[in-house]
Amino acid sequence: MAEHAAVIGIGQTDFDAKRLDVSQVGLIREAAERALADAELDWKDIDAVVVGKAPDMFEGVMMPELFLAEALGGVGKPMLRVHTAGSVGGSTAIVAANLVQSGVHERVLTVAYEKQSESNAMWALSIKMPFTPTMVAGAGGFFAPLIRGYMERSGAPEDTGIRVALKDRLNALKNPVAHIKLPDVTFEMIQNSPMLWDPVRYLETCPSSDGACALVIGSEKHARAASNPPAWIHATNMKTEPTMFAGRDQVMPRAGLECSAELYKKAGISDPRKEIDCAEIYVPFSWFEPMWMENLHFAPQNQGWKMTYEGATALDGDLPVNMSGGVLSTNAIGASGMVRFAEAAMQVRGQAGEHQIEGAKKALGHAYGGGSQYFSMWIVADQPLQ
Amino acid sequence: MADTTPSDDEGLSAPHVLEYAYKRSLGPVLGRFFTGLRDGKIEGIRTRAGRVLVPPSEYDPESGESTDEDFVEVGPSGTVKTWAWVREPRKTHPLDHPFAFALIELDGADTALMHVVDTGSEAAMSTGMRVSPRWAAEPVGCIQDIAAFIPEDSA
Repeated sequence: MAEHAAVIGIGQTDFDAKRLDVSQVGLIREAAERALADAELDWKDIDAVVVGKAPDMFEGVMMPELFLAEALGGVGKPMLRVHTAGSVGGSTAIVAANLVQSGVHERVLTVAYEKQSESNAMWALSIKMPFTPTMVAGAGGFFAPLIRGYMERSGAPEDTGIRVALKDRLNALKNPVAHIKLPDVTFEMIQNSPMLWDPVRYLETCPSSDGACALVIGSEKHARAASNPPAWIHATNMKTEPTMFAGRDQVMPRAGLECSAELYKKAGISDPRKEIDCAEIYVPFSWFEPMWMENLHFAPQNQGWKMTYEGATALDGDLPVNMSGGVLSTNAIGASGMVRFAEAAMQVRGQAGEHQIEGAKKALGHAYGGGSQYFSMWIVADQPLQ
Repeated sequence: MADTTPSDDEGLSAPHVLEYAYKRSLGPVLGRFFTGLRDGKIEGIRTRAGRVLVPPSEYDPESGESTDEDFVEVGPSGTVKTWAWVREPRKTHPLDHPFAFALIELDGADTALMHVVDTGSEAAMSTGMRVSPRWAAEPVGCIQDIAAFIPEDSA
């Protein structure tokens, strides 16, 4: 059996559209220093550093892990870079956790980031290639037809997405580091916002943010010695599938279904809806909440929308989802997966402030990336797995 | 759509030019360094361990510790630590006549700065030689505000 590992430090930057006050290095160090302070550790206490971010083209720094080695105290230590598109923040945390669970290292610092103000990620994803028409679609254009597919197959009421967006935007008001805060947000405001990629409205869409997230993962010895409560990692899992293949169900990817089923098995969970207290999942467009509720086995197929509709995913529901305000409120792409994993850990540490779920003992962190093809997930809890 | 060019041996090919605009935020430390250059001043930063880094950075590269805005004016003269002579400058090189790229340790600094030395001839270059900046006529806040370093006795 693997060694126990736990999150013993969490740090997030303040997120904003343009953090012009800091360099890329300054942004990343803001998160890392907050995580080290939370863990009550110094740079010299760290055994290895694991860095993740989305495609290098977003900031135009090739192999940024080399440029960041000194800035992240990586000199003389193993330093790894992870990339799995939008899920990278999750997979980066998992690589760091695996380094501790394997017994190779005792304390690992992991950081994920994006500084989107240094370019325009939307169009970096939509480059013009010879021999093919230019879609000028961006991520929303890719996912909008999948959302339409889900609406048609599930028969979900058309305002399900608006309800998700309203919930997440209200939750964001309780999160001090969230990027988009709309204190006056209403159902009508979201409903009347421009149709960006039919059927996805502007206020049902994630923003472009600058920001970083950092975690310190410690071994059992260090977790027990820490003065702040640890978030024990019960299970991690990743799965991948190609963007396109004949017969692929892009609305309900098999990689996600299998990834979560395996994750629960590893964590000894037989009824996820009952046994998991809250979930922070990757919802960049509102409708992905009901879609992922099914993909994560919280709801039967075509019935995920009922959880949103009945308020099950609200802060006072039986499975609160995206307590932080989610990706809809804050999206520094490379960091977004790790922010989900961090929120799950904050909940079981009792550290989530105004968006804390009372008595949360077991939480899911989830990320996906690419064309719904990379999945990374973890289960964290207030006690180690028996 | 780009023109496609049939070729007998290689099939179709087409040019693919990928251009993309970026912006850089310097942050407080390098921001101050480049602002200083505009005003004819070269500033390093002292680490908690006491070393003076030029150009300054937000952290000590050896320990990862943050630096504390302990800026130190250095130079403007310094010593060439090592160099490489460029016999035939290309269009994009900083000077249009032969010059040296050099690592220059400015007086008061503990690290060397990469810059250009304009001596006119390779014979005039040597490791350990003393150099001083020749400032640009119209500084704007970038590394080229120092047009080149030149031998100290000719400055």
